[in-house]
Amino acid sequence: MTSPSSAARIRPIEHFAKAVGKCTVESNAYGKCIFLDYNNITKGMCQVEFLRLKECVLRAVKK
Amino acid sequence: MPSRLRLFQRLYRGYATAAQGPLPAFQVFNRHTKLLQRERAARNTELSRTTDYLRDHVATDLAERLLLINRRFPRVLDLGAGSCNIARALIKPVGDSNERVSTRIEKLVAGESSPTLLHRDVEEPFNKEIEIERVVLDEESLPFDSDSFDAVVSAGSMHWINDLPRCLQEVNRVLKPDAPFVAAMFGGDTLYELRTSLQLAEQERMGGVSPRVSPLADTRDMGSLLDKAGFSLLTVDVDDVIIDFPDIFALMTDLQAMGEGNAVLGRKEGQISRDVLMAAEGIYRQLHGHTDNTLPATFRVIYMIGWKKGGNQPKPLERGSAQFSLKDLNELNKDKNKK
Repeated sequence: MTSPSSAARIRPIEHFAKAVGKCTVESNAYGKCIFLDYNNITKGMCQVEFLRLKECVLRAVKK
Repeated sequence: MPSRLRLFQRLYRGYATAAQGPLPAFQVFNRHTKLLQRERAARNTELSRTTDYLRDHVATDLAERLLLINRRFPRVLDLGAGSCNIARALIKPVGDSNERVSTRIEKLVAGESSPTLLHRDVEEPFNKEIEIERVVLDEESLPFDSDSFDAVVSAGSMHWINDLPRCLQEVNRVLKPDAPFVAAMFGGDTLYELRTSLQLAEQERMGGVSPRVSPLADTRDMGSLLDKAGFSLLTVDVDDVIIDFPDIFALMTDLQAMGEGNAVLGRKEGQISRDVLMAAEGIYRQLHGHTDNTLPATFRVIYMIGWKKGGNQPKPLERGSAQFSLKDLNELNKDKNKK
């Protein structure tokens, strides 16, 4: 059994939160898209903006 | 074929009857899940203590209200005590005055369902300044004698109770006649920013929503619930506590560390998907975010005071016994002006 190192003690969600924090431009664009028509949300209506956001987050996670 | 179907319908037609026996109890929350969440939160003592700020704030406000009642309380029950936030608030001087509510209390019975959370701060110095008896109990049924407490207090835990009407009846039962119930609970628009952001994100990503934030009691409901449970001289008021967080993850981490994770029955099990989380973060920021890049989270605290009936409590007069008509109030003023 290995003892948990200090790096392992950081919860995965914290890595993820940091990565999302680096994508403010994409995140804002997605939020704006929702905001334009938030009374009538349908599945995938902001697909393009979301994929841009997700790509950015994935890139940031790998760094 | 149609006639046969009609015959079938005729044969099986009956009257709708009311369900036999007592009415089914309300089941909204999974109490076992809630217990596990609280236990888990309290086991990480340090993190748990850093998120006491909300309960401490509510407990301090509650202590102020208790100070206004000019009485001695030999035996007080703290319902849903958590880590005894109320006890800590009671020993502090209230506001500008030097008075401490704890001097009027002989014994505080702290009842809580999570043993780890209840005993988290047993070794802390505040335990020496007020006599605390810690009791592990289910907040939905109280293991105490009737008419045995001089006051019941509760801060920030009643929003997880399934059968609120019955719980209030229980509180009324254990109170002595003419004794107050002073409570604060989260309700109404609490966490509406988080609720709406997650709903919009799930709607757009998944095409449907799952309950992520608890349904909460409304301010208007509390008055009638207290009344139904047999309390009189009711006072209900609300206070919005708005806390700014750097991002949605900080908010959710703190909620988890408070033991306030989702425990709604019929929720989608497992964690929220990463897609929905990053979508919700963007929506939260766009819809509710401040210009300085922080995200506000609203906690609506409903404060209520109700008195058990009995003693020489003031009562409304008999209907029709008034000596003066309210219509004539103007006349009264005119008379005064003449003089």
